[in-house]
Amino acid sequence: MKVIICGAGQVGWQIARQLSGEKNDVTIVDVNPDLVRRATEALDVQGVAGFASHPEVLAKAGARDADLIIAATYSDEVNMITCQVAHSVFGVTRKIARLRAQEYLKPAYADLYRENHLPIDVVISPEFEVAEAALQRLAAPATFDTEIFMNGKAQLLGIALTEECPVLNTSLRQLDGLFPTLRAIVVAVRREGRLFAPDANDQLYAQDNAYIFVHSEDVNRALEIFGKKTKKQERVIIIGGGNVGLAVARALEARSDRIRAKIIEKDRARAEYAADALERTIVLNGDGMDLDILNEAAIDKADVLLAVTDDDKTNILAAVRAKQLGCPMAIALVNDPTLAPLMGPLDIDAYINPRATTVSSILRHIRHGKVRAIYSVGDGEAEMIEAQVLSTSPLSGRLVREIEFPEGVLVGAVMKGDKVVKPTGDLRIEAGDVIALFAMASDVAEVERLLQVSIDFF
Amino acid sequence: MMRHLQTLPLIVILMGVAGFASFVPGLHAFVLRDYEIGRAFIYAGAIMLFLTVMLGIVTQGRPSRQRMRGPLITLLGSYLVLPLWLAFPFLGAMEGATLVDGWFEMVSSFTTTGATLYADTATVPPSVHLWRAMVGWGGGAFILIAAAAVLSPLNLGGREVTTGRSIGQRGERGAFGSAVADPVRRFLMAAVVVGPTYVALTVLLWSGLLILGSSGLQGLCIAMSTLATSGITCGQSVGANGAGVWGEGLVYLFLLLALSRRLMPGPAVTDRRTALWQDPELRLAAAILITLPLLLLLRHWLGSLDVSAQSETRSAIKALWGAMFSTLSFLTTTGFVSADWGAAQSWSGLTTPGLIFLGLAILGGGVATTAGGVKLLRIYALTRHGQRELERIIHPNSVGGEGLAARRLRREGAFFAWVFFMLFAMSIAALMLAFSLAGLEFQSALILTISALTTTGPLVNVVAEVPLELSTIGMPAQILAGAGMILGRIEILALIALFSLGEQRR
Repeated sequence: MKVIICGAGQVGWQIARQLSGEKNDVTIVDVNPDLVRRATEALDVQGVAGFASHPEVLAKAGARDADLIIAATYSDEVNMITCQVAHSVFGVTRKIARLRAQEYLKPAYADLYRENHLPIDVVISPEFEVAEAALQRLAAPATFDTEIFMNGKAQLLGIALTEECPVLNTSLRQLDGLFPTLRAIVVAVRREGRLFAPDANDQLYAQDNAYIFVHSEDVNRALEIFGKKTKKQERVIIIGGGNVGLAVARALEARSDRIRAKIIEKDRARAEYAADALERTIVLNGDGMDLDILNEAAIDKADVLLAVTDDDKTNILAAVRAKQLGCPMAIALVNDPTLAPLMGPLDIDAYINPRATTVSSILRHIRHGKVRAIYSVGDGEAEMIEAQVLSTSPLSGRLVREIEFPEGVLVGAVMKGDKVVKPTGDLRIEAGDVIALFAMASDVAEVERLLQVSIDFF
Repeated sequence: MMRHLQTLPLIVILMGVAGFASFVPGLHAFVLRDYEIGRAFIYAGAIMLFLTVMLGIVTQGRPSRQRMRGPLITLLGSYLVLPLWLAFPFLGAMEGATLVDGWFEMVSSFTTTGATLYADTATVPPSVHLWRAMVGWGGGAFILIAAAAVLSPLNLGGREVTTGRSIGQRGERGAFGSAVADPVRRFLMAAVVVGPTYVALTVLLWSGLLILGSSGLQGLCIAMSTLATSGITCGQSVGANGAGVWGEGLVYLFLLLALSRRLMPGPAVTDRRTALWQDPELRLAAAILITLPLLLLLRHWLGSLDVSAQSETRSAIKALWGAMFSTLSFLTTTGFVSADWGAAQSWSGLTTPGLIFLGLAILGGGVATTAGGVKLLRIYALTRHGQRELERIIHPNSVGGEGLAARRLRREGAFFAWVFFMLFAMSIAALMLAFSLAGLEFQSALILTISALTTTGPLVNVVAEVPLELSTIGMPAQILAGAGMILGRIEILALIALFSLGEQRR
């Protein structure tokens, strides 16, 4: 597949890396020749320096025979025009644009992106994606990582095991025997920094981080079994009233279960804007790092703190301070992935990486079809892949135990029709089923071969 | 025509209008074959017109020297000079009336207060009643026009609450704002906008009342007094004049016009673009108009528990309607009393809650309408401010929402509302003190003060158990009451602006 990526920023770079790694013909376009040169050197991509929306530049990038264009420059308007030009001049069939401004994203104007208006097939909004991720984290408070699969019928939970966990030192085979009705699979364990796919004889220990793929109806039960109490979160404090904070607060207000949210925003004008946009949420004007402000927001009585300012360090420090002041849970927005290992020592319960969320949501839309969802676990160490089994696939028509999966690959769940079932050795995979696979990064290529995406998908 | 009028001072134009107007009761008296009174009105009218023409010739084309203060001086001047001018036909028609009597009656009518010295209305000829009602009606139109043409451009009369700028400051270019510099021209333009609707609505109400069985003069008086919220009747109350309870219902609908300027043409103070049910003034008014009658009813109902239940529902409905009508009537500072109010009062044998009417009159109707009092918008600003302050006790650094306009209303708007409220309270104290010096006892002084300052004349008959006879209070108190009405009508802030603008010039 021929793909043009406009904008070699963080998001563009990640997508280019991902797609070129999957043997796609990727061309990157950016105004900055240095960035383009670095991209062509570091990645297996071609590069064109120039203004992304100019037809000539797009022609040079090979727009005439491109299958997909991803407009992810810093400017919404350039992204829009790029898609328009790609559509009108070059007839590119699939167009994805990243739009930041909330004004463009109001549901009332969704008509704008129709084929004969502004032809954008998929609009990606980083702030929106991040807000979604934040809400997911809020929904599963005891986990450090969550992602939804199979149309919301299954969930990947990352659980940090503690001494309270009742199933420590039990092999996974025994665990299955103890809870036969629990539709959950331990797909990965991180022990002492190393991520691996466990086999049936492996045991769980305290301080392990376990990734569990679980049917969404069994989430609470699974959390209980792994020693996490599910407590409803009623008081939420959000630091940062930007687009992300505002979107989260809006979503919380829209929910029926009366969550009391407070936003702390430093900039007076922005705070007033947020206060105007919200109804029940209390907006406080002040520094999220300020002790007085945090006390005013009753941090000691809050259930969770969400630090989503645009500054990583502020977010991390605010989260640490909140934990220290007695807030049981803190979530921080962290742009820099290299800061992620700090979360453990700093006792921050969870973090959101906007770049990763944006990249994975763009990837999901690209692979829309046979591979339906992809979620990168850890720092790109492994992937959770949701895919439809094709009739040409070696998987189809075979029992799970007959399939020769590589060592680092586990089946999380299988969806037959719209029913999600727990995979057992005797389960037969049929064409049309949706299968969720956990795969270590080194085994992804083998998984794709098993799914035969490379022949059939594009 | 317009161009010729423009070269005249406003007060001369108003004098001429008064001259023409006095022919109406004159002709009315001739129709009734009351030739003596008819002659009094027509001669007075002729002399007034003659004098107006002379004055007009003398003053024509004189440029106004005071561009900022000019309109305010004209406004105050109108209230000082016109009542004397209007008293001219009145004195001719009413035998034995002194100059102060005439002045008081006309001030009371022109400020849409509606208090009268003649407690026994039967002694007053019908044509004179008509004249009083007409003056009140003209006074209502005058304040509607002045609010649009004079007060609003100067950021007065309630506008200061929404703009949050200090009073007397020009700024936004409105329909009659600073775009048209000449005050007379501005006034005439506003009159063209407001006048037709005002007249049409009056005629509509009058015809409605006629259809419902009211007599011609009674109906006209009530229609005029409703539109102007003056509360002047020709002897009989709204419900007792033949139109009955349906007539009251009709009047109720037209009294709603005094709750917000949005319902009349001309520049509105509150935002016309918001939906009616979101208008702050109308919301506040609705809350008062719904809860208060129910509370009054509940009180009666609780009181009548031990009284034998005879035709319970019917009398309850009557009592509720009586309370509803009277609540609106006093909230708009009109002062009509429902015929069922007596029933509502005597139903359970409880004493009259007249004090409630004092409170309602102080709240007042919408800004820039014919209603007096503190005005709903200011009350609203103060409530919102209070609400916000309570929130700030819990979260000192919290930020209030609902948009820029609401924030300004809560902050600067509430400040001006507070200033006005304090000035209002202080003027109540001062006027009460003056009344006490003039020999009134405490209760009478209180009622008369609030009645004058809120321009709700009929209060003096309703609040106390024994109606206050204004003819017995003595000349100094009458003059004080008249001054209070003028003060209440043009609002103290306008007076302050008048003097402070003068200071700025120097």
